[in-house]
Amino acid sequence: MAVPVEEAIAALSTFSLEDEQAEVQGPGIWVSSERGATDSPIEYSDVSAYRLSLSEDTKALNQLDALIQEGKEMSAVLYTYRSCVKALPQLPDSMKQSQADLYLETYQVLDLEMSRLREIQRWQASAASKLAADMQRFSRPERRINGPTITHLWSMLKLLDVLVQLDHLKNAKATIPNDFSWYKRTFTQVSVQWHDTDAMREELDDLQIFLSTRWAILLNLHAEMFRVNNVEDILQVLIVFAVESLELDFALLFPERHILLRVLPVLVVLATSSEKDSESLYKRVKINRLINVFKNDPVIPAFPDLHLSPAAIMKELSIYFQKFSSQTRLLTLPAPHELPPREAQDYQRHYLIIHHIGSIRAEHDDFIIRFASSMNQLLLLKSIESADIEWCKEVKGSMYDMVVEGFQLLSKWTARVWEQCAWKFSRPCKDVIPTEPHDSSASFSDYEKVVRYNYSPDERKALVELVGYIKSVGSMMQRCDTLVADALWETIHAEVQDFVQNTLATMLKTTFRKKKDLSRILSDMRTLSADWMANTSRPESDLQALQHGGEESKGILFFPRPVAPTAAQVHCLQFLIYEVVSGGNLRKPGGLFGNSGSEVPVNDLKQLETFFYKLGFFLHILDYSATVASLSDLGFLWFREFYLESSRVIQFPIECSLPWMLVDYVLESQNAGLLESVLMPFDIYNDSAQQALVVLKQRFLYDEIEAEVDHCFDIFVSKLCETIFTYYKSWAASELLDPSFLFALDNGEKYSIQPMRFTALLKMTRVKLLGRTINLRSLIAERMNKIFRENVEFLFDRFESQDLCAVVELEKLLDVLKHAHELLSKDLSVDSFSLMLNEMQENISLVSFSSRLGSQIWSEMQNDFLPNFILCNTTQRFIRSSKVPLVPVQKPSVPYAKPNFYCGTPDLNLAHQSFARLHSGFFGIPHMFSIVKLLGSRSLPWLIRALLDHISNKITTLEPMITGLQEALPKSIGLLPFDGGVTGCMRLVKEHLNWGAKSELKTEVLRGIKEIGSVLYWMGLLDIVLREVETSHFMQTAPWLGLLPGAEGQVLHSQGGGDSPIVSLFKSASAAIVSNPVCQNATSFSILSKQAEAADLLYKANLNTGSVLEYALAFTSAALDKYCSKWSAMPKTGFVDITTSKDFYRIYSGLQIGYLEESVQLSSNSHEVLGDSVAWGGCTIIYLLGQQLHFELFDFSHQVLNVAEVETASTAQAHRNPHLVQGWDTLIESMKKARRLNNHVFSMLKARCPLEDKTACAIKQSGAPLHRIRFENTVSAFETLPQKGA
Amino acid sequence: MARAGGITNAVNVGIAVQADWENREFISHISLNVRRLFEFLVQFEATTKSKLASLNEKLDTLERRLELLEVQVGTASANPSLFTS
Repeated sequence: MAVPVEEAIAALSTFSLEDEQAEVQGPGIWVSSERGATDSPIEYSDVSAYRLSLSEDTKALNQLDALIQEGKEMSAVLYTYRSCVKALPQLPDSMKQSQADLYLETYQVLDLEMSRLREIQRWQASAASKLAADMQRFSRPERRINGPTITHLWSMLKLLDVLVQLDHLKNAKATIPNDFSWYKRTFTQVSVQWHDTDAMREELDDLQIFLSTRWAILLNLHAEMFRVNNVEDILQVLIVFAVESLELDFALLFPERHILLRVLPVLVVLATSSEKDSESLYKRVKINRLINVFKNDPVIPAFPDLHLSPAAIMKELSIYFQKFSSQTRLLTLPAPHELPPREAQDYQRHYLIIHHIGSIRAEHDDFIIRFASSMNQLLLLKSIESADIEWCKEVKGSMYDMVVEGFQLLSKWTARVWEQCAWKFSRPCKDVIPTEPHDSSASFSDYEKVVRYNYSPDERKALVELVGYIKSVGSMMQRCDTLVADALWETIHAEVQDFVQNTLATMLKTTFRKKKDLSRILSDMRTLSADWMANTSRPESDLQALQHGGEESKGILFFPRPVAPTAAQVHCLQFLIYEVVSGGNLRKPGGLFGNSGSEVPVNDLKQLETFFYKLGFFLHILDYSATVASLSDLGFLWFREFYLESSRVIQFPIECSLPWMLVDYVLESQNAGLLESVLMPFDIYNDSAQQALVVLKQRFLYDEIEAEVDHCFDIFVSKLCETIFTYYKSWAASELLDPSFLFALDNGEKYSIQPMRFTALLKMTRVKLLGRTINLRSLIAERMNKIFRENVEFLFDRFESQDLCAVVELEKLLDVLKHAHELLSKDLSVDSFSLMLNEMQENISLVSFSSRLGSQIWSEMQNDFLPNFILCNTTQRFIRSSKVPLVPVQKPSVPYAKPNFYCGTPDLNLAHQSFARLHSGFFGIPHMFSIVKLLGSRSLPWLIRALLDHISNKITTLEPMITGLQEALPKSIGLLPFDGGVTGCMRLVKEHLNWGAKSELKTEVLRGIKEIGSVLYWMGLLDIVLREVETSHFMQTAPWLGLLPGAEGQVLHSQGGGDSPIVSLFKSASAAIVSNPVCQNATSFSILSKQAEAADLLYKANLNTGSVLEYALAFTSAALDKYCSKWSAMPKTGFVDITTSKDFYRIYSGLQIGYLEESVQLSSNSHEVLGDSVAWGGCTIIYLLGQQLHFELFDFSHQVLNVAEVETASTAQAHRNPHLVQGWDTLIESMKKARRLNNHVFSMLKARCPLEDKTACAIKQSGAPLHRIRFENTVSAFETLPQKGA
Repeated sequence: MARAGGITNAVNVGIAVQADWENREFISHISLNVRRLFEFLVQFEATTKSKLASLNEKLDTLERRLELLEVQVGTASANPSLFTS
């Protein structure tokens, strides 16, 4: 019958449930968390079936358990009680008449709260009397009833603990009496109209006494207990039991240990209320043992933010319990705040996790490896059909051992966290070192002193680590719950059966043979738990094998059955063992398993003891998932009800919240090792939310936690993204630094970055948070998309606030960003970089080609670069003129951004900035490269067109000015005569060329010509860069397109008319794949080969691109054709017109000599305004007008130079005064320079734009130049040019 | 002094205990497998969630790309004269 179930479940495991997500969170979903074994869900009603006459005991036990349950709820109410008085409204003076109404309302509100307190008062009274009655009943020496059982003893201890806690809490909560007095006042006001309020008044007085008396609950309990004077025995038993359990510390998990520690001082106080009693107590338990226990744990956690101290409790109680005050040895124990410094140091070492984290780490690492290997063994065992029985038992046994060890470790670790908390609460930080300077004047709340400033960074680190260990071990154990369950049951079953069938049998045969009473108990133990028939269902062969083995091990062998004993069985067994060792006598001297006076020999006693404590632990193992849940529950780290009340605030800021402090620490510390535990502290919130709802049952607490978590998680995500972005940015920036630069550097390490692994976090698609599932990955991706866009936007903003020279820096920064994007894309899917760049460049549209960057470059050129930069022909650079800019430039201020918007860390920023600074002072080839790369083939043509239009506009604006200058030219200027020498020439030139009234046009024209020259030179630079780019491009594509170099350097196609290599490669590959019958989608491969053809076409079309410079020259030429008649008049005579010509060359020549002279006089000042581009502009126009030869013949400075040459020659011959021409030295020098420059320009133009037969480029309708087309000189090509706006 | 113990009808109790062991074997078998089933469902949900998450991620990317293409087409079709020649 069981087989189909098993098969069906096994079939489920064939589903692949692989998951990419790493386990970086604590356990999340509890399949079952009710306690089946430790708290019997059927209230031990099955105990009666074993006929041990325990019905009285069971009844009492259940009564106590019910009280414990109620008591816990009471203390939850009390713990979460918040003062109402603060929220009560005050009436303004104008509404005094309704004061009575307000009183009534207030009364009704407060009455509800007070009724809860009244309930607590009533409950504690009944609980105390019931507990006292219970103790009295079960400690009668004549023993008419069986009991108390061990479970019963535990219940007594637990109830006592609840009462102690409740009392402690009542003492600590200061607002309750406050609220009460307010309530009483309103009551007096309200009750005036009421009749017979005496009873109520009396009740109120009662409550007041209860609330205002410290330790009222304990006092009441004491009174109840000693009404009849015979509970000392049971108190002593409880003390002995507690002390022994604590000393053994084997079977206790930390919640029980804390219960015992909390109860013990109270028990001692109660038990020593008389001389005689204390003597008999110390006979059973030496006082030193007690003192040791108290000394070991000077502070004990009671509530999340409230601790207990045994020494302090005893001291305080001694005032109320007169008899106890004689116990001086116990009373001299120092309370935590009275500890001498040296002892405090010792305790500090004991309590602080930081001193243990090393060993904890080692334990953790060791444990998880062994646990995992046991798990693997178990899985292996399950996959094998018939395994060897011994091996089977061994594997399961080792699994059991691992689980026990795991529980003990978890219990130890979580207890450490609790205890460290309690210790921290008991020792607030004395000298607060504020982190932010501005709040140094503010006073700190108590909570800040005990939490926020009480954990040093190292302590936070240790705590995060420990929380991580607890949560990860917890989740590891929880995950294998159903896998190990049957192995655990089987092992426990085997242990129990081994004991009752083998050990007890031996005992019965030997030591207990003579003792009828005891042997009856032992055989009862066998009766109620032995599973004799466990092997009946096994096949015969197994049985034989078993019997064979049985002979060797000399014991009854039984097959393990995967069934655990019930809670009732364990309960009865524990009871019977206790009966055996104590002889049913509460007054038995000595300890529980102490040997004195016992009838049981030592060996057997030892065995019984071991089995007894094992039984206790079985229950925890049977409640596997509930135990894991309670042991890895760290929710207490959030709660702060006590401090909230004492600080009189509604809630503390999240900086004071321990979970957030831990998260924040992990993020701030940039510790790669901790990074993956960054989600662990959020499990604290999960736990505390669970506690708020299930244990404390307070909606408002949950709401507060939820609000905090929402807030924290938002901050967490944004901080995490910031960290990730900075990290990837720095990584990219450090990779892009020049390696040789790094190598040469002494402190190169500061530019390398510590590797961090974000992969696990980036894979988190479901973060469990307060029952919600959050896709962290998508949140991060979303933010990353945004942050990358913001960064691009910032870089553009920054560029826009600088001049054109910053384009190199822009390109570098964009490169860093792009590389960072590339690195991040490996782990996270973010939008493609080009997409983001296009979006931020406003370059999405299909029909617009000007991008944000393109238009910025263009406006920058128009407004700043062309007017204010001057060319240096030698260095091929433009530099900013040192003169005051002619056109003032207004720019937005440089926007501010965090270092991660540049290159990541400040160090890397510095390194990259110093590189960028090299290029910030000029504009040259590197800048042109950046522009070409940034604009790409999409916007570059647009920019070129804009610049060419600029040229033609400039020519149009120059035209009337030149006409003006032409008019100002004298009617005729002859050749300069040689007889006046240089001086004479210059005088003549000055006479002729004063331009009359039009002289102000001079500078305007020169500036215009300079701008034209600058544009043309700029085009020249662009041409050089484009050539280079295209060449490398060609080198890359040529082999694929099948292009070969010919003998004379021309390009040959390798295959005559056939397919190029790329096409044939793809064709043959797809043909081969398609012909294969396995092929699923043949169409996609044929599409692939079609695309190869398209690529082939596209790349081939791109091969023969023209020269930008040539195009620009052709364009300029065409633009000039319109003014050809004005600027280059055909001489009427047909001969060269020498004296009366007003052609452009003449104007330019006059301007040139003018500015040369000026530049000499004003110490080369106008040259700095104009630079070398004037020559480029002027000469190009002259050349394109076909006036080069005229210019070279009749240029004034040429003539002057000729004159000077002759003069120098003649003076040198005559050896006469050589200083004659010296006054003109510098002028002649600059004229020579100008001539050299002009010649250079002309020769370049001749090379790029040969004009002999007026062979120019025609320009097609599309704008592409048509090479080597002859056309008549007179035909204007300008008409055929595509016009803007036409 | 009254000793505890003394199961009144030891044989009957023994038989009942034996039967109880066997019954409980069946019960724990069933309950364990129910828990396994539940665990499987939890696991299955988790895996499905992460698979859906990765699907969602892809859809998101596609959606954004589609949006971009729509915008591009929009800019082009807003100016139909460009395509008439």
